Amino acid sequence: MIMVITLIIQVVLVLLIAPFVSGLVVWFKARFQGRQGASPLLVYYALLTTLKKEHVISASRSWVFRLVPFMVLGVAVFLALTLPLVFSDSGISQVDLFVLAGVLALSSVFLVLGGLDAATAFGGMGASREMTLAALIEPAVLTTFAAFATVAESTSVQEIFGQGMSAWSHPALLLSFGALILITLAENARYPIDNPATHLELTMVHEAMVLEYSGPYLAMLEYASSIKLTVFLLILGNLVWAKPEGAFDPMTIGLAVGGVLATVVVGSFALGLLESSIAKMRFFRMQEYMSIAFFLALFGLILTLVV
Amino acid sequence: MLWLSEHMLFASLLFTSLSGVVALSGRSLLFHKLSQVSLAVSGVLGLIASFKIFLAPETGLQILLEFAEFFPVFQLDLFGAIFFSLVSLVSVLCAVYAGSYLRSYQETYHLPSLNALVAAFVLGMQIVILSQTPLAFMTGWEVMSIASFFLVMSDRSQDSIRAALLYLIMTHLGAAAILAGFLFLAQGSLFTDFSTLASMARIVPSWVLWTCFGLFFFGFGSKAGLVPFHVWLPEAHPAAPSHISAFMSGVMLKVSIYGFLRVLLFILPPIGTSASLIILGFGLLSALFGVLYAVVDRDFKRTLAFSSIENIGLIFTMIGVAFFASSVGLVGLYEVAIVASVFFAISHAIFKTGLFLVSGVVVRAVHSRNLEKMGGLAKPLPAFSVFFCVLALAAASLPPFGSFFGEWMFFQGLLQNVSSTSVLVSAVLIFTFALVVLVGGLAIFAMVKLFALSMLAEPRSAHAREVHELPSSGELFSVGVCALAIFALGLYAPTVLTLIGGGAMTASPRELSVGSATIQPSLILWLLLGSVVLVWVGRRLTSRVKHEREYHGWDCGQPIDASMEYTATAFSAPIRFFFRLILRTKKQIATQPVVASNPWIVSHTSTLNMRSIWMDFGYVPVGRFLLGVAEQVKKVQSGNIRFYLFLIFATIILTLWIAL
Amino acid sequence: MYILKLFRILFFGSKVTEERSVFTSTDESLETAGTELKQIIGSLYGGKSLRIRAVDGGSTNAEEIELTALNNAYYDIERFGLSFVASPRHADMLFVTGPVTRNLERAVKTTYEAAPQPCIVVAVGDGACTGGIWKDSYAVVGAVENVIPVHIKIPGDPPSPTDMLKALSCALKKHS
Repeated sequence: MIMVITLIIQVVLVLLIAPFVSGLVVWFKARFQGRQGASPLLVYYALLTTLKKEHVISASRSWVFRLVPFMVLGVAVFLALTLPLVFSDSGISQVDLFVLAGVLALSSVFLVLGGLDAATAFGGMGASREMTLAALIEPAVLTTFAAFATVAESTSVQEIFGQGMSAWSHPALLLSFGALILITLAENARYPIDNPATHLELTMVHEAMVLEYSGPYLAMLEYASSIKLTVFLLILGNLVWAKPEGAFDPMTIGLAVGGVLATVVVGSFALGLLESSIAKMRFFRMQEYMSIAFFLALFGLILTLVV
Repeated sequence: MLWLSEHMLFASLLFTSLSGVVALSGRSLLFHKLSQVSLAVSGVLGLIASFKIFLAPETGLQILLEFAEFFPVFQLDLFGAIFFSLVSLVSVLCAVYAGSYLRSYQETYHLPSLNALVAAFVLGMQIVILSQTPLAFMTGWEVMSIASFFLVMSDRSQDSIRAALLYLIMTHLGAAAILAGFLFLAQGSLFTDFSTLASMARIVPSWVLWTCFGLFFFGFGSKAGLVPFHVWLPEAHPAAPSHISAFMSGVMLKVSIYGFLRVLLFILPPIGTSASLIILGFGLLSALFGVLYAVVDRDFKRTLAFSSIENIGLIFTMIGVAFFASSVGLVGLYEVAIVASVFFAISHAIFKTGLFLVSGVVVRAVHSRNLEKMGGLAKPLPAFSVFFCVLALAAASLPPFGSFFGEWMFFQGLLQNVSSTSVLVSAVLIFTFALVVLVGGLAIFAMVKLFALSMLAEPRSAHAREVHELPSSGELFSVGVCALAIFALGLYAPTVLTLIGGGAMTASPRELSVGSATIQPSLILWLLLGSVVLVWVGRRLTSRVKHEREYHGWDCGQPIDASMEYTATAFSAPIRFFFRLILRTKKQIATQPVVASNPWIVSHTSTLNMRSIWMDFGYVPVGRFLLGVAEQVKKVQSGNIRFYLFLIFATIILTLWIAL
Repeated sequence: MYILKLFRILFFGSKVTEERSVFTSTDESLETAGTELKQIIGSLYGGKSLRIRAVDGGSTNAEEIELTALNNAYYDIERFGLSFVASPRHADMLFVTGPVTRNLERAVKTTYEAAPQPCIVVAVGDGACTGGIWKDSYAVVGAVENVIPVHIKIPGDPPSPTDMLKALSCALKKHS
C-alpha cells in the first residue's frame, strides 16, 4: 500500500513540477542576462494555450506522425513512474539501467521518426542530428550506468539512484558523475549540444524535429521534454545528496518533497548559469563532446575496478 | 510418441525433397504453388519435431539410414533442434511469402529451377543440422553452398553473376577449410562420427588442435560473414531474390554458427584463452565494421546485409566471451554468454528474415534497391509499415523486443563479472562492453535510417509515388508473423529460454535472471504500454480539440518538394564525418569548364565514394597477385598434347611419391 | 602580464560608460502597456501566453530591428508572457511586416495557412498597414490585408517597441 502511495505522490509531483523546471531554467537564464524574464509559470500557460488550439498536420505525414507524441510522452511518464525520484524506494525495482537506456533510446528514435515524417528539410536535418547524438551518447549512457552498477553491485535503478549512493562515496563515481552531467545536457538538448531557445533552423537539433507539430501534439512533446529534464535533474540530485530515511509519515514526505524542490531549483540555477556562460558547440565538433563523455564514463568504469 | 516424432522429422526431409521434385515438374503456377505448400508442410513438421525435443530434451530423435558402406547417423539433439526449428520456421514463412512473391517475377526468374534449388538449399541446411558425421555434414554443407550459389545468380544479371562467383570462391575456401579441419582431426577418415571425433580430439597434440581451430574458424567464420572474410556477403545477399536473402541471412548464417558451436562445444576440447580471444576480437571487429557500413550504405538490402555482419559479429563476440570465461574459470559468465548468443541468434533469425521479406515488397514497389528513391511508403502500405517498424526497432535491440533481452543477458553477465581478480579478465570484459555498446548505439542509427528513409516523408521517385505492387496477403502474413514472433520472443523470453535449455537464466516462469539481477519482460512491456495509455487518456481529458487541418509541411514560404528532403546520404553524413578515419569515404568534386572561352562557367560533379578498405588493401592486391602468377603459369600451356600428357604423368609420379 | 593589466582596467579602471541608474530607470509607458497586455493575454484563449511568429513580407528591415529590440534586455517582452517562436505551427499570433511584395505573397499566405487557428494577424509598420510609400507599385501587392485577414494594424515607420506593445494592448482590449 505504501508503495502505491509513494508511487502516486512521485508521479503526480514530477508531472506537476516538470513545466515549472523548464520555466525556471529560462527565468534563471534571463536573470543572468540582466533581464527580468518571464515568470517560471509561463510554461504552464503556454501548454494550456497550446492544448486549446487546432491541429495543423503535414499532408506528407503517415501514422507514425500521430504515434510520436504518445510514445515520447509515454516514455517520459514511464521514467517518472519507474525511477526512484522522490523517495528512496519509490519506482519499480524491476527496471534496471539497461531498460532505462533502452527506453531513452526508444524515445529518441520516435522523435526522429516524427521529424522525418513531415518531409521538410529542417525536420530531416534535426532528425539526422538527433539520431547521431542519440547513437553516440548511447555508449556513454550505458558505460556510465555500468560504473554505477559496479560500485552498487546491482543494476537496479532503485539501489543506484534511490538508496543514498552518493557520487562522493567512491572516486570513480566522480568521473561517472561528470559523464552523467554531459549525458544530461546531450539528452535534454541543452547547451553546448543544442540551443533550446534558438529561432534559427540551421542550428537546431531538438526544435527542428518538433517544428511540424501544433496544438495538443506540440504540448505533449514540450511537456515530455520538460519531464525528461526534471527526471535527469532529480537523478543527478539523488547522487549528490541522500534521500530522507525513516518511517512513512508526513515528516518524511515533506522532507522528500522539499528535497525534490530544492534539487530542481539548484539544478535549474546551475543549468541557467551554464547556458549563460558557454557557447554552443559546432555540430561537427560533437564527436569530441561525445568522445569525452564516453571516455570519462569508461575511465570511471575502469577506476571502479582499480580502487 | 517417439516413433511419431522420428517419422515427422523424416517426413519433413521428404517433403522438402518433394517440394524440389514437384517444382521441377513443370512451369505452370500450379507446380509452383504445390512446391511452396510442400515446403511449408516440411517446415511445420520440422517445427513440431523440434518442439517435441524442446519439451523432452533427453530423448534425441534419430533417423538411422543404412547404406552399404557406412552408417551416417542423423540425429537431432536439443542443440540441433534449436537451429532446426529456426530453419523450419523460416521455411514456412518463406514458402508462404514466395507463393505470391515469385508470381510477380515470373519473367525474371525461372521458377521451376528456383523452387527446386530452394528445396535443395533447405534440405542441405537440414542435413547439416541433423548430421552426426563429418561426411554427412560436409555433404549437407556443399548442397547448401552450391544451391545458394545458383540462387544468388537467379536473375542472371551481370552483377548477380559476379556476386555469385565471389560467393562461390569464398564459400568453397571456407568449405575446404572445414573439410581439412575434419580430416586433420580424424586423421584422414571421414566416416567417424562426431562423438568418436571428440574422443580423438582429446589425444591429438596441441598444434593439431590449433590448426583445426584455425581451419574451423576460417571455414565457419567466412560462411557467417565475419570481417575480413565478409566481402561476399554484402554482394551476394542483395543479389538474390528477397526470400532467398531471408533464407541466407536468417538461417544460413545461423547454420554456420551452429556448425562452429557444434565443433567448439561437442568436438574440440575446451579451447584456451588465446583462441577465445581470437574469436572475440574478430567478433568485435565484425560488429564495428558491419554497423558502420550499415549506417552509411544507401542500398536497402546491402544495409540489411551489413547489419547481418554486425549481428553475426555480436554473436561471435558472445561466443568468444563465453569461451574466454570458461578458460579463466568464470562458469557463470560462460553459461550466460552461450545462452545469450543462442538467444540472440534466434532473435536475429526472426527479425532479419522479416526485414529481408520486407525488402522484397519494398524493392518491388519502388523498382529499385536505392534508399534515395524510396520514401512515403507508409501511406500506401500502412499495416506493412507497422510490421516493418516493429522489426526495425527489434533489429536496433530496443526494448521490449526479443533481441533486447538477448543483449540484456549478455550485458548483465559482463557487468557482474567485470570486477574479477585478474586484470586481463577485467580489461577484456570492459573493452568488450565498451565496443558492444558503441555498436549498439550505431545499430539504432542504421535501423532508423532504413525504416524512416524508405517508409516516411514524401516519395522520392515516381515509382514510390505511385505504388502499384501492394503486398499480397501471403507476404503480409509472413512479415506479420515475423513481427509478432520477435515481439513474443521478448514477452515470453523466460519460456523460450527454458525450452532451449537455458532454464538457469530464468528465476520464475515470467522472470529472466542473470546472477543477482532479475527482469520481468512482461512487466516492462505493460509499464510502457500503460504509460502510453495513460498519456492517451490524459490527452483525451485535457484537450477537447478534435479539429484537424491538413496542410503541407512548413516550407518557410517557398514551395518544397521531395528533392529537398533529407536523403539517406545526408542522413548518415554526421556519422560518415565522425568515423571518416575508419570508413575512408572519399568525396570528389570534379570541375569541368562548359565554355572554353570563359573559365567561370563550369559544371561541378560531386561523387561520394564508399570504399571498402578490406577490398582495397586485402582482396584486390591478393587477386592481382594471383592473376600475375596465373599469367606466368599460362606460359606452360603450349597447346602441345604430348606436353600435357607429360604433365599428367609427372603429376601422377609426384602424387604416388608423396603418398607412398 | 598583459592579462593582469587587462583585468586591472576592467575591474579597477575608470568607467567611461553611463551610470547604472540610467539603465535601471523604467520606461513608465512601456511598463503600463506591458502589464495591461499581460492581463489581456491572460483572458485570451484562457491561457496567459502568446507566441509570436514574425513574417517578413518584404519590409525594409526597419520593423525587424524594432522586433528584435522587443527581445532585448531593455524591453524584454518575455516578462509579459509573449515570446517569439520558430514555426508558425507553434504560433498564436503573426507579426507581418512590409508591403507584401509579389515574391513574398505566397510566403505570407502559406504562413497564415500553416498557423493553427485561432491566430491573430498583426500588420506591423506603415508598409504592412497600407503599403506605405510603395503603395500601388507594380512590385508589391500592397497592404497585408490584401493577402490575408488582418486583425490589428500598428502604424509607424517603424513603430517603436513601446508603440507596438501599446497598440497591441489597445487592440486586444477592444477585441475582448
